[in-house]
Amino acid sequence: MKKVIVIPAAILILILVAFATMGAYRVPTLVVEFVEKRPAVVESVEYTVDGLTCRGKSRGFAGMISGVEGVVSLTTYVRSNTAIVEYDPTLTDPVEIETAFEGPIVHEDEEYFLFKAKK
Amino acid sequence: MRLLRTIVQTLFLAGVVAVLVRGMMGLTTSTCETYCPFAGLVALYPLLRFNTYTCAMNEFHVALFVSLVALTLVTKKSFCSWVCPLGTVQEWIGKASREVFGRYVRPPVAVDRILLNLKYVVLVLVLGLTWTVWQGDLGFRAYDPFYIIFTGFRGHETLSFSIFIGIGVLVAAFFVPMVFCRYLCPLSAVMDPMSRAGFLRLRRNPGRCTDCGICDEACPQGIPVATADEVTARDCTNCLECVEVCPEKGALELTLFGK
Repeated sequence: MKKVIVIPAAILILILVAFATMGAYRVPTLVVEFVEKRPAVVESVEYTVDGLTCRGKSRGFAGMISGVEGVVSLTTYVRSNTAIVEYDPTLTDPVEIETAFEGPIVHEDEEYFLFKAKK
Repeated sequence: MRLLRTIVQTLFLAGVVAVLVRGMMGLTTSTCETYCPFAGLVALYPLLRFNTYTCAMNEFHVALFVSLVALTLVTKKSFCSWVCPLGTVQEWIGKASREVFGRYVRPPVAVDRILLNLKYVVLVLVLGLTWTVWQGDLGFRAYDPFYIIFTGFRGHETLSFSIFIGIGVLVAAFFVPMVFCRYLCPLSAVMDPMSRAGFLRLRRNPGRCTDCGICDEACPQGIPVATADEVTARDCTNCLECVEVCPEKGALELTLFGK
């Protein structure tokens, strides 16, 4: 009955393989283009965001930065809670974008914060 | 063997409970579903069709699902009796029931055979609804006892009726062993073809077997071990309870690739 050890060994190996391989390919959760014509100069900034945990939240995030003039595109990856924002540096900057998505949400007269950038 | 399996089961159960407690303390946004391989299957359609993920699914879920397929090909449904916390809880409830009633309470064979096919209906419904009506959202969370129980009955998609489902499964497991795993679990349905092929399986040695039937009684899945030369049943989880209770040494043996 020594073969029983195959079971926990296989479980352990496959969990390790799962952890090791999940970073080998990276597929975005949401990609949004905010402008029809990309500006000549585009820079990008990557945020790690508390609260960016699913596609729905990604859409909410897109909504919060969509009003910032100069934001070009958004790509989110929920496994790592990451948002990559492309922007026109002549019109906006990372601080203004961060301020936009960290803004409070008001629901039934109560204020709460959906997103917070990790420093 | 039983001790080893109990240790492994307890570790995984403790891991999920730790995630729950850390979540309740606000220390993590992870939940039990962060580690659910079924989400990996659900993620495959949007991933292959649109190269994107829906809801909270991500690469880790897909990696877990692929690992589960490989594990099942090698060790049959050992995931269910060694890893899955919901399987562990149901097994322990079933054992408590056996202490009370003196044996596993099982439905009649004819009823059991019909009920065994329910999980395929559940699988089709869950995948179909997720990929159409629910538009990629994991809408089945409200009906999923794993999510309901291991989010402490307070997951953000736990609805009022969800609590009845969670408690209902736990209560039902007392009267029908492994009730959710055997009849309703969509992940179990997915694993069935791989499990049939599983390389690590039990073989009965007719020369040493005395046909006492104790193994049949001990099997939480109700598999007729005593009449099989080789246990190829799709529902065998390699829990090895039959081997534990077998009074004849060498009558039941694990074989890998037939050896």
